[in-house]
Amino acid sequence: MSNYRPLTTNHQSLNMSAEFPIPRAAYVHVPFCRHRCGYCNFTLVAGRDDLIDDYLRAIELELQSLGEPREVDTLFFGGGTPTHLPPESLGRLIRAVRGWFPLAEGYEFSVEANPADTNREMVDLLAASGVNRLSLGGQSFDAAKLRTLERDHTGDRLRQAVELAKAKIASVSLDLIFGVPGENLEVWQADLAAALALEPDHVSTYGLTFERGTAFWSRLIEGELGRLDEELERAMYAAAIDRLTASGFEHYEVSNFARPGHRCRHNEVYWSGESYFAVGPGAARYVQGRREMNHRSTTTYLKRVLAGQSPVADSETLAPADRAREMLVFALRRLEGIERTAFAAKTGYQLDSLVGEPLSRMTALGLLEDDGNRLRMTREGLFVSDAIWPKFLNR
Amino acid sequence: MSKIDCKHIRNFSIIAHIDHGKSTLADRLLEKTGTMEKRDMREQTLDDMELERQRGITIKARAVAMRYKHNGESYELNLIDTPGHVDFQYEVSRSLACCEGAVLLVDAFQGVEAQTVANAYAAMEHGLMIVPVLNKVDLKHARPDEVIAEMESVLAINPEEVLRCSGKTGVGTDELLAAIVERVPPPQGDPQAPLQAMVFDSHYDEFRGAITYVRVMNGTVRKGQKIRFVKAGTVYDVLELGQFVPHRRACTQLQAGQVGYLICNIKALGQVHVGDTVTVPGEGGAQPLPGYRAPQRMVYCGLYPSDGQDFEELRDALTKLSINDPSFEFEPETSDALGFGFRCGFLGLLHMEIIQQRLEGEADLDLVQTAPNVTYEILTTDGETLYIHNPQKVPDAGSIEEFRQPIVKVNFVLPVESIGPVMQLCTDRRGVYARTEYLSPTRAMLTFNLPLADVIYDMHDKLKSVTRGYGTMDYELVGYFPADLVRMDILVGGKRVDALSIICDRRDADRRGRAIVKKLRAEIDRHMFEIALQAAIGSRIIARETISAMRKNVTAKCYGGDITRKRKLWAKQKEGKKRMKSIGSVDIPQKAFLAVLDTSSEKER
Repeated sequence: MSNYRPLTTNHQSLNMSAEFPIPRAAYVHVPFCRHRCGYCNFTLVAGRDDLIDDYLRAIELELQSLGEPREVDTLFFGGGTPTHLPPESLGRLIRAVRGWFPLAEGYEFSVEANPADTNREMVDLLAASGVNRLSLGGQSFDAAKLRTLERDHTGDRLRQAVELAKAKIASVSLDLIFGVPGENLEVWQADLAAALALEPDHVSTYGLTFERGTAFWSRLIEGELGRLDEELERAMYAAAIDRLTASGFEHYEVSNFARPGHRCRHNEVYWSGESYFAVGPGAARYVQGRREMNHRSTTTYLKRVLAGQSPVADSETLAPADRAREMLVFALRRLEGIERTAFAAKTGYQLDSLVGEPLSRMTALGLLEDDGNRLRMTREGLFVSDAIWPKFLNR
Repeated sequence: MSKIDCKHIRNFSIIAHIDHGKSTLADRLLEKTGTMEKRDMREQTLDDMELERQRGITIKARAVAMRYKHNGESYELNLIDTPGHVDFQYEVSRSLACCEGAVLLVDAFQGVEAQTVANAYAAMEHGLMIVPVLNKVDLKHARPDEVIAEMESVLAINPEEVLRCSGKTGVGTDELLAAIVERVPPPQGDPQAPLQAMVFDSHYDEFRGAITYVRVMNGTVRKGQKIRFVKAGTVYDVLELGQFVPHRRACTQLQAGQVGYLICNIKALGQVHVGDTVTVPGEGGAQPLPGYRAPQRMVYCGLYPSDGQDFEELRDALTKLSINDPSFEFEPETSDALGFGFRCGFLGLLHMEIIQQRLEGEADLDLVQTAPNVTYEILTTDGETLYIHNPQKVPDAGSIEEFRQPIVKVNFVLPVESIGPVMQLCTDRRGVYARTEYLSPTRAMLTFNLPLADVIYDMHDKLKSVTRGYGTMDYELVGYFPADLVRMDILVGGKRVDALSIICDRRDADRRGRAIVKKLRAEIDRHMFEIALQAAIGSRIIARETISAMRKNVTAKCYGGDITRKRKLWAKQKEGKKRMKSIGSVDIPQKAFLAVLDTSSEKER
């Protein structure tokens, strides 16, 4: 590219010290969707497929700022809807990304897919491109619930999508949402049963969150939508945990369940405080101890990158103690928790001198379990875990 | 300053209800007498404390000497500006003792208010000549005739003597100055007699130390001479003396009848006592002037740093403040719930608020304040009298012979249609009715004896609400009287929170206990566990509420892009807890410590 100018992101001039090894994970954000669902606050543009070419050029430019190809163990395409790209565009994107992020042996390559887009052609393309993990944004099998969520597929279409994916792709994950206005425990139980019947390898269950700035938020304020009773939400979450674990799934993170050998290794990178590359609008990277986030507006991102400017909108470098606290919190959201020895080795801090007081308080309250080395959330702690984290994040 | 004959001196103060325009009128007097040029003026010239300007109130007394020519003769007019609020009653009385006259200022729209009455009575008791003035006559809604009728009916003011002014436009200023000269008697006093001067205020100057404000009653004080403070028993050299015009201007002497200041290299304001008498050292000194009294703290509260580590900083800040304001006192205390802090005594609620604002403003400290309480007297079975400033110090019921509380006489000035509701308000608080006087067909003054404890917290707010803002009140201490009082404790999660204990009438205990635990339930956030809130007298639980446990509070999605956002969100929740105290594992917000003040009855809620 003749007009190439290096972008000033953290990708370039990597001068990795032992403290911050070179990332072995990469995230690519694909911001296109057919429609923005009412609850969604992700970085995306709906109905702007005219931007796809610019987007591909921008990603290629941003990737060049890596300077040299970086081998990764995990690669994750999220969105938006990666599968909303026309097959030739998606192919071009994957080629470019794999060029800069060559996949190491034993890699995990995940792509998020919309059930409505998941036809035979798409699955074949993904499989042929090396994708070995597909994450389907199914959300529900229930017609009324799907309507409320403004999803463009039916329960049957979702079933088909899972079957198609399972035939070609090594690991298939299904996202489910609970706590949707109007939903009751029976509807949720039926969704769980329908999901289990399809035998996916991985399930993510998300309690619906009303995010500021979404259509759902305004409808909540106007009283058009109502939150479910807290007790019901708790029962739904408990039902998910109980049904899935009884069916052989391991509950390994607040919202994530996997059959043995099918955890999402890429997401585990985030939760264990390891570093990762990222490209695309709104994408967040963590390189050399510095967190950066690209501009969340797709058009601004494109404008900046195509003009040779940095797409980074926010960045921060945490002090070592704060980094250790953050690491602790996100590690504890994994159900296996964290060992004191591992924490000390990773952060250089002794857990008890950093957060000894809240830690023993949370343990006494039965929210954390402490065997002297390993620390983990109890089932009760899991339900109210957001109330635990503030105690660990500040002095 | 050359010698001046008492005939050419007038000492007066201006007394008024808050917002009736005292400071603005004083500005006009300064301007008219040429004491201050118009271009040097800023509003409320005499209120130079930042807080006074912000709140539009006078906290400290001031004295300004003005020159005024009347019928060809030159007069020295000393304006002694006094605080009008009930908290500073004693300071007001000392200031009035330094004057021969008082300008009684009444807003031509608002009319006679409670502080008008209180201050006018105080001036009359001191035998001052009253110069009645109707202020704000330029107001569109002024109702001068009715207000003059009110002044006549309550204060026996002769309507023909009432002057009409406007501090805003300056109308009537000349007439007022002339009336001061003509009506206020000149001071009596013998410049040759032994020195006898009244200390009516003081302030602290960081370079000069304490500046003592005096009115010379007899004799003459000269630069360089030795003086003695009679009550304090201290002797100093007069390094400088002078008058305020309105800023300090040094002169060589002040003689009987004059008002001014003394600078004697006094390091702490606590060594200068308002009401003390200044004379010469040794045998030849004058008798002390009557009326001296140590400052009386009416209201106490605990002040604790939110962060226990700020204890020393708080001590420094309190020490610094007390240098400027010796009427406020503090001593260290410990609370199981709040850790190390101070029990602080104030002249009244306004005084408490002022000190607290100054602490937060000047020292940038994050404080937890406990509910204010009054001083109680307890006669023990051993015949000992205890003065209780802190509910935690109440001994076992078995060793109490008599439990006494301060009773105040409260005057309410209010529209007649509010008499019923205000009577109800007072009887709910065990008030004893004294009398009703009609100021006019539409306004009345209602007098009740009430426990001070009931008055200090919400009486003012309640009065404003039932009278739609038209009622005013003022009170004075009547004395301590026995009552059936008990200490009520509050338990949070089964633990007694000492800082939440209150003293109340036994007959009110159930109602107040229920109201407090209800209020606490609203103030304390849900936790990860259930919290029992109980009110108890001794071991008997009289009210209970429960804060149910949080059932589900969990962020579902947390991936690469969410980490920073979520961490900040969670960290901010912790930040919001700064003004909280953790007791056991319950976070109690600062506001909850004031919940015990909620005296509203259940039917009002």
